[in-house]
Amino acid sequence: MIQMFHVSKTYEGGTPALTDITLKVQKGEFVFITGPSGAGKSTLLKIMCGSEAPTEGQIILDGRNYVRIPPEELPPLRRRIGFVFQDFKLLPRKTVFENIALSLKVMGAPPSEIKKRVTRMLSYVRLQHRANFKPLQLSGGEQQRVAIARALVKDPAIILADEPTGNLDPELSVQIIELFREVNSRGTTVVVATHDKGLLERYARHSIALDAGRLA
Amino acid sequence: MAGTGSANIFYVVSDALSSLRENKGTTVLTSFTLGFSLAIFSLFAFVITNLNAVVKSWGDRTQVIAYVKNDPGPSPEAMKERILRMEGVRSADFTSKEKALNELRLELKGHEGILEGVDSNPLPASFEIRVHDEYIEPARLESVVKGIEAEAWVEEVQYSKEWAEKLASFLRFVKLVAAGTGAFLAAATLFIISNTIRLAVYARKDEIEIMKLVGASDMYVKAPFVIEGVVQGVLGGLLAMGILATGRAAIMGQVPAYLRFALEMPYPVPVFMAVLAASGVVMGVAGSLISMNRFLKV
Repeated sequence: MIQMFHVSKTYEGGTPALTDITLKVQKGEFVFITGPSGAGKSTLLKIMCGSEAPTEGQIILDGRNYVRIPPEELPPLRRRIGFVFQDFKLLPRKTVFENIALSLKVMGAPPSEIKKRVTRMLSYVRLQHRANFKPLQLSGGEQQRVAIARALVKDPAIILADEPTGNLDPELSVQIIELFREVNSRGTTVVVATHDKGLLERYARHSIALDAGRLA
Repeated sequence: MAGTGSANIFYVVSDALSSLRENKGTTVLTSFTLGFSLAIFSLFAFVITNLNAVVKSWGDRTQVIAYVKNDPGPSPEAMKERILRMEGVRSADFTSKEKALNELRLELKGHEGILEGVDSNPLPASFEIRVHDEYIEPARLESVVKGIEAEAWVEEVQYSKEWAEKLASFLRFVKLVAAGTGAFLAAATLFIISNTIRLAVYARKDEIEIMKLVGASDMYVKAPFVIEGVVQGVLGGLLAMGILATGRAAIMGQVPAYLRFALEMPYPVPVFMAVLAASGVVMGVAGSLISMNRFLKV
């Protein structure tokens, strides 16, 4: 599902964030990317979703080479990826409902279907009572669940989640990971970046460890 | 899940409208910037257009008078046709010997005694000739005059060389001032407008990035900005017209009569309104699209 060949990333004028990463994530796999802060987990996920271009190397995602893809083919590919950003990236002036609906709207889903799916997803992440709130009226944990709901609502082929439990208490963290496991059991490939050792111990899975931008 | 095109357009438009509501403040601010800039520029265009028209009308005074020999040969119509066929000539009015004498009599009213003892009519027939604007230039005027002088039936040609030179240099000065001030004003206006729009777009760069990352096409992301640009442009154009109309009404009474020409409306009003609104729309839309382009590369 995801293949990287000798991927390196150096930010302008900075030290290398990633050096020579070659990895493979199979379709339907649940993979943790681990490592301390600054190890390059976020950069790796950003390169996987195409929001950052690698300085060197190739990435094949869902059969398409990201590095060579024409710009107009990027949106359809992105619609197959559910990305949960570390900083949530919610639209502050839209309601929770509208934020989640955005993923479906850009795909052109009919309004009735959007309503059905978003409502179901809201109860899934237990935010029905917050549907008409704006993100800044919510707690960090609630915003994170909105971000997760936005990624899941479109039934993506791949979920890429950057520290999705970072703002959640342990109980809710487990619930969110269970949510990802459930999605994964239905065939979605899931990649989760985390430094939460508790999670790793609890879910002993295929994990990719990074340290100072290299595979550890 | 396959997206349907019609649903997509519905979302694009409804999102654009809701974004217009969400960005009321910036829309109003940008419209005001556009409105004031367009008003200043229009005022300048009025004054220059009117001034140019006035100076050009002075050109009508640059008359060339060709006096005709006593026994010219060709008929007045034939002579007139010859003159009108010359390069640069706009009009030629014939004054017969009799008419000249009558005019002189009118001018001498009360002193008719002067003409006593004059048996025959001593005044020559003449042509008052006007040239096209571009022939007011001294060198070109002289070539027109030479052409007239070459005619066998022409006794003498009179024209004011000095006046023509002054007028031509004043026209050049007006054009230079118009071009210089116009360029400066245009640059300043564009700079202010583009910066206002750039800041407005910059404030929404996160929004653009998020839309792109969830898979929105460039069209989907751009549409609200285009629609906002159109609304801002139309509002700005209307505002500019309002400013000009009220401003003119307010100061017209204080302007001395001989300067009022500068504030007259030199263009047909519907055309002017259309041009103002269209320039507002073009600046609003183009400004937004250019400013957002670099944020689309996510």
